[in-house]
Amino acid sequence: MNSFEDAHIYFESVSYKYPNASINAINNINVSIKKGQFVVLMGANGAGKTTFCQLLNGIIPHSVGGMLMGTVKVAGLDTKHHKIAELSQKVGLVLQDPESQLFTGSVKSEVAFGSENLGIPVNELRDRLEWALKVVRLEQFIDRSPSALSGGQKQRLAIASVIAMRPEILVLDEPTSQLDPIGSYEVFTVVKELNQKYGMTIVMATHHSEEIAEFSDRILVFDEGVLVGDGSPKEIFTQKELLLKTWIREPQVSALANYLKQRGIDMPEFPITVEEMEKYILELFQYG
Amino acid sequence: MQEPVIKIENVDYYYHGNVKALENVNINIYRNEIVGIIGQNGAGKTTLLKNLLGLLKPTRGRVLIDGIDTRKLSVAELAVREGFVLQNPDRQLFADTVDKEVAFGPQNLGLPEEEINIRAREAMEAVGIEKFSTVYPLSLSKGDRAKVVIASVLAMKPNIIILDEPTTGQDYLGCMQIMQIARKLHEQGHTILIVTHNMSLVAEYTDRTIVLCKGKVLLDGATRYVFTQTEVLKETYIIPPQVTQLAQRLRNKLDISPKALTVEELGDEIIAKLNSRRKKKLVAQ
Amino acid sequence: MSMVQYYPGKTFIHCLDPRVKVVSLFILTIVIFLITNFIVISLIFLGTLIFWLKARLPISILYFYMKILAVLLVILIAMQALFYPGSTIIFSPIIPEVIPLLGGLGKISKEGLIFGLIISFRLVTLICLMPLITFTTSIEKMALGLIKMGLPYTVAYTATTALNMIPILQTELGIIIDAQRLRAFQTFEKGTFSQKVKAYPTLVIPLIMGSMRRAQSMGVAMDSKAFGASKTRTFLEDITMQKKDWAFMILVVLFCITGVYVNFSGFLGIFN
Repeated sequence: MNSFEDAHIYFESVSYKYPNASINAINNINVSIKKGQFVVLMGANGAGKTTFCQLLNGIIPHSVGGMLMGTVKVAGLDTKHHKIAELSQKVGLVLQDPESQLFTGSVKSEVAFGSENLGIPVNELRDRLEWALKVVRLEQFIDRSPSALSGGQKQRLAIASVIAMRPEILVLDEPTSQLDPIGSYEVFTVVKELNQKYGMTIVMATHHSEEIAEFSDRILVFDEGVLVGDGSPKEIFTQKELLLKTWIREPQVSALANYLKQRGIDMPEFPITVEEMEKYILELFQYG
Repeated sequence: MQEPVIKIENVDYYYHGNVKALENVNINIYRNEIVGIIGQNGAGKTTLLKNLLGLLKPTRGRVLIDGIDTRKLSVAELAVREGFVLQNPDRQLFADTVDKEVAFGPQNLGLPEEEINIRAREAMEAVGIEKFSTVYPLSLSKGDRAKVVIASVLAMKPNIIILDEPTTGQDYLGCMQIMQIARKLHEQGHTILIVTHNMSLVAEYTDRTIVLCKGKVLLDGATRYVFTQTEVLKETYIIPPQVTQLAQRLRNKLDISPKALTVEELGDEIIAKLNSRRKKKLVAQ
Repeated sequence: MSMVQYYPGKTFIHCLDPRVKVVSLFILTIVIFLITNFIVISLIFLGTLIFWLKARLPISILYFYMKILAVLLVILIAMQALFYPGSTIIFSPIIPEVIPLLGGLGKISKEGLIFGLIISFRLVTLICLMPLITFTTSIEKMALGLIKMGLPYTVAYTATTALNMIPILQTELGIIIDAQRLRAFQTFEKGTFSQKVKAYPTLVIPLIMGSMRRAQSMGVAMDSKAFGASKTRTFLEDITMQKKDWAFMILVVLFCITGVYVNFSGFLGIFN
């Protein structure tokens, strides 16, 4: 499972301790993620999701410090030996709070910021700006001030500002937890498109089980810094015990399937979306 | 008929005198109701809350709390009747220990020292944070910080408790704990208002739901009824919880009630339907 | 009404290169402090007013500044008129000279009065000139101008980010104040001065803790976008000196040299 050759993201025996911390934030993580996968990180607050995200673009250890053991490789680069600036062209990071990752006075300058820092020539800058704003559907707001945007728009702008640096991997740390349902949906749609249309590898920490079931290929479950679950949404959401132990909420339809199972009724297959559940229940009534 | 504890009467609210935020809002909330308020950002939820709390006064119409016009009461006087739990707990934590934080409200009411201590202890016990009483609030987990804020509100002994997006940024454990507290307070006789984006919480924990859209009340009724109004809800981009969606899809095909709100309800109904079908089959054989 | 607000526009002064604006402001400020010639100052004042109108900045703000300044100006003029060692007395003493200490006070000299008026006029001109520059230049453009003049871009961006955060902090403070009022806290409405002072930590602690968290995640976001990584940073909206920028700069410099020459040669002098 942990094959090195075709891994786009590769963790080998990774443990990490924050400066001044007494225990490891994450412990002996071994995982490899293929190019183009949509991977979701789940687990309670403090389980290690944010640490995992910040390990991917070198923020840990380069800007945070602390003690990192083992090897983290992204797109072939060992994060220990490459600077954030170099890694930022491979891995883009979007944070939870839209407000605190926007810091310039216009949408335009926000998107250009990263590429400007890299010293990208101005012609190329313009192309990237245009492309990134088109992907997140904010072209018409190019001259607007970020503070005049809605929550969902702000978060999409944060995504644009990161993908303008042309990363192959997009990491999102709970990008929708501050958003209303529309904003949340907008963000998920854009991320899905980046994954499918542009083949970006996606790593996203989130609690939104319903969307995860619909969009993602794989779930990594963290519990107190340890990777305790790894599998497709179907595989993870059937494991009632794991879910209870790690405080993960399954989609309601999966919860319903688990509820029925406990009472002796097995679904033909395990459902994770409303459509699937409807189909299986109808089958149940036909043949049951 | 019982008098409502909150009476919102023909309320309009305009920001800066011309930006309309609420239009002709009429809501009566009765003692010991547990009500969900939903709607997209910008639908007017925050403006409505501020009008309830006396931070804003209606441009037109009036808001009565326990029968008294909010214009006649100060924010502090209203705070004794309505406790408000802020969306982001960190915005109101400032004391160096949890018990001081919780005692802050009663102190402002000028109560005797002994009464303050009793109230603080009771409030901490009510949400299960008495073991943290001498801990620095900001060193607690996010879920526990939210509990501190709830306790600090309970110490004022309000009947009405308003929770503004209490689960935003919380993980599932935090969510469950906060909602259990809300349920317990409701059982103890409090009137509870929950503003949230989380539809499954509304479905599971509230009896009544009010949907706001563009400053108006779009729907107001039993939660069970509101979530069956899929067409109206679409207008404000609200998608009912999966269980309700599923029940509605199965309604015609299996003659299942479209009003299920929780996993258990729908599960039990499906089991019952399956059993009766099996019995029929047996009889037929 | 702050001094750093930006009023967007596309007028001549808006489009001027920020470097020209900064340098002009700098030179003119020195000149205003250096000279006492009424006509030269009047010309600067008049020029400033014309550009205010051309930039379509609200005149009401000027009026607001003047209202604040009025008392100060009156005191300034009175002090100079009374204490300036001038020989042309235009108002006879009120207090007879025989009275010790206060004796002889109250004499108003023509020279003092004129000097007071000129100092006030200089102040007024300066107060009008500064916002003309800051109101017509966005924070980003100003930063870019300073970067081009040699300020490290990390410093410039840190400063602009801080400025951009001011409105966010204001909103945040408003929410915190409301949160406290909702816990029946009334000190800021009804308390005595010392109670208010004691109560400040309750406001400041959540604000600071919140800002620190925000600053921390902002730091992560900036680092993630390679902030400070390359010495050869590029700029999407670069600025280059146009002909009109050079022309304007030359005009300002010429004016200032002439002004200073006129002032010290005594030509056109009222005062010298």
